[in-house]
Amino acid sequence: MASPTPRHPKARSRRVVRLTDLAGRWGFMSPAAVLLVATLAYPIFYTIRISFSELDLSTFSPGEWVGWDNYIDVLRDDRFWNALRVTGVYLALALPLQMVLGFGIAFLVNAEWRGRGAVRALFLIPMVVAPIVAGGVWRMMLDPLWGLANALIGLVGLGPIDWLGDPAWAMATIVIVDTWRWTPFVTLIATAALLALPGDVFEAAEIDGANWWTKFWFITLPLLVPVIAATFIVRWLGAVKMFDIALAATNGGPGRATNVINLFIYEEAFRSLNFAGAAAMAVIVLVGTMLLTAVFLRGSRMLEERH
Amino acid sequence: MTHEPRNRRLLSRRGVVAAGLSALPVLALPATPRAQTASGGGLGTAAAPVEIRMIANEAFANQWQANMVPEFNKSFPHVRVKIDGVPYPELLAKSLLDSTGANPTYDIIVADDPWVPQLAQAGALLDLKADAKAWTAPDFDWEDFNAAPLAASAWRGKQYGVPLRSNMLLMFTNKTLYKKAGLPAPTPKLTWTEYLAQAPKLVQDTNGDGKVDAWAIDTYFTRDSLTPTIWQAILNSNGGALLDKDNKPAFNTPTGVAALQTHIDLLKYAPPGAKSHGFNESLQAFRQGQTATMFMWGSVFKATAVDPKTTTLKPDEVGIQVMPVGSKLPGTHRGIWNGTVAKKSAHPQAAWALLQWLSSKQGELWHANVLGAFPARKSTLATPPESAWLVPVYAALQQAYDAADAGQMWRPRSPKSDAVQQVLADETSRAMSGEASAADALASAAQKIGRMRL
Repeated sequence: MASPTPRHPKARSRRVVRLTDLAGRWGFMSPAAVLLVATLAYPIFYTIRISFSELDLSTFSPGEWVGWDNYIDVLRDDRFWNALRVTGVYLALALPLQMVLGFGIAFLVNAEWRGRGAVRALFLIPMVVAPIVAGGVWRMMLDPLWGLANALIGLVGLGPIDWLGDPAWAMATIVIVDTWRWTPFVTLIATAALLALPGDVFEAAEIDGANWWTKFWFITLPLLVPVIAATFIVRWLGAVKMFDIALAATNGGPGRATNVINLFIYEEAFRSLNFAGAAAMAVIVLVGTMLLTAVFLRGSRMLEERH
Repeated sequence: MTHEPRNRRLLSRRGVVAAGLSALPVLALPATPRAQTASGGGLGTAAAPVEIRMIANEAFANQWQANMVPEFNKSFPHVRVKIDGVPYPELLAKSLLDSTGANPTYDIIVADDPWVPQLAQAGALLDLKADAKAWTAPDFDWEDFNAAPLAASAWRGKQYGVPLRSNMLLMFTNKTLYKKAGLPAPTPKLTWTEYLAQAPKLVQDTNGDGKVDAWAIDTYFTRDSLTPTIWQAILNSNGGALLDKDNKPAFNTPTGVAALQTHIDLLKYAPPGAKSHGFNESLQAFRQGQTATMFMWGSVFKATAVDPKTTTLKPDEVGIQVMPVGSKLPGTHRGIWNGTVAKKSAHPQAAWALLQWLSSKQGELWHANVLGAFPARKSTLATPPESAWLVPVYAALQQAYDAADAGQMWRPRSPKSDAVQQVLADETSRAMSGEASAADALASAAQKIGRMRL
């Protein structure tokens, strides 16, 4: 019978050290991990559970298991598809506008001029205004009867525009308010990224006789690609859950013109008390958001590798 | 910058979104029923006072806490009352969540007109005529209530509450603008045909600068759950109904389509941008003397016609009456705040004592005269009010109660009432904005509501 090979004391000691290290790391991490599971995983799994049940209002907990019924009801509801379409239109208009404006303003702010610091500080104001307040104030400014907006465009012979009553203009209003609110965020990140660009590369390009456009196109933009991609994804995740501005400015109207998906989910849950249907919608939107985010992440990685 | 840390950050961000999207189920808590105190919990003593809590709309909760509770304590000194004001959009969900929990906080839930069936179906409310009979004062006169406001807290043959603050959709008129247009001030006999014939003349230039500065009407036109109440008032006044006896949609008829078209046609005589006008905007326009009429909840009368801090109008230039008469009845719509007792309350006797006092003949009279709340009792409406401005209001209220009772002018009596209202808000707004015709919008609404199994 072969006797077990005695392990080297040093190897055992290394194992003990590794295990102790691992235990120490998990010891520190476990409170945060438990908190994360409680605050992220539990609500998600609970939402999924509700989406497959009939919510019993007398106990406010999931009741009878109904399988895919809630999902089938949601997918048959034209209001759900309309809300997704409206959200798509809003995202397609707002995100590119905010990215272009944000980086454009960052280039301007980055140039040397007096009062640059004050302008930077002023840019932060829209970000700290509560969205409900922002929506309400814009609603007042855009009212055709009392608002400032029509009075101003009237001075140059334009308008009057029914900003909130015309379906197309109502969507434009939401995009304008959201852009007013979030462009400074993009500008802030873009400004930081521009300041962090390596100066020696630009000096070398200047020695080689590169003009402004060449430097921008062949140096600045490629170096900014990772930041642009990351900013886009962060904004995408923020914009996809927008509903407060629509709630305050148009309440989803006129008709269904600005009824974005999260406003529709909110209305179904807390006004119509259709919690199970709202949970099914939330799960569909969550899955869709995750898939699209994965596509964007892959796209941003490809862009980074290309540059 | 490497891929890994950025991805981690983004995943975390994605997690935050996920949590936000799925936040609603966090509200669901496991519930076990709490045994109700069989004795009713008593009315307290000096040594051991009873404490009850009420959840109510923030619009009047503070006023009640400051003025009503001290008055109540003159009769019931050993019942301490704490009132929590909650914004309207959150009130139903919070009330449901609390009353269905294991240990509810609130003994009294002040519920809006359409909410009683939802709360009752969830088993949250006490049947006052049966469960609270032993604690009901012998002189509490149920018969004295007007039928329409009392019915707001009844469901399936049970009485779950009493009317505390009554409200009806009424027609406000600016007599000055009628005079400037050379039209007689309207009376409750005004018909829809007459009203619509007068409307073009009420769109006028009052200061002679060549620009229109006054319009005939402003009211709810925006996408709002209360906007369909205007259409429904027109529908009901012409003999139509929202639902039939089996709770199936009954509005998708020529009468329904004509009523919605009338509501849409009002936009021709409304201020610019009125498509997005609702409660606040129509009030502002009327109080600034820009509109000759307004279909609005009667409770705003004092701030619209009397209080100089909130209006440019004087009491004698503002009229109030039922909405125009259709082929059957005058138009109106009911909106009652009901006092209900939570079934799991540990002190239902004290809670019911407060509601009885406030809705009694004596309490309602005090409430109406001191706080200006609109009464539901016939006896209170027949008593000359202390404030002169209330005289025309009481007359309009009585007309509205009678019309509402005769024409069942209220929102659906169903636990899914708010869901029905949401669909109606969606579809009427589509018609209002021109996205759909009145007929198509109502056909779509009827199809959706028909699937709801009310």
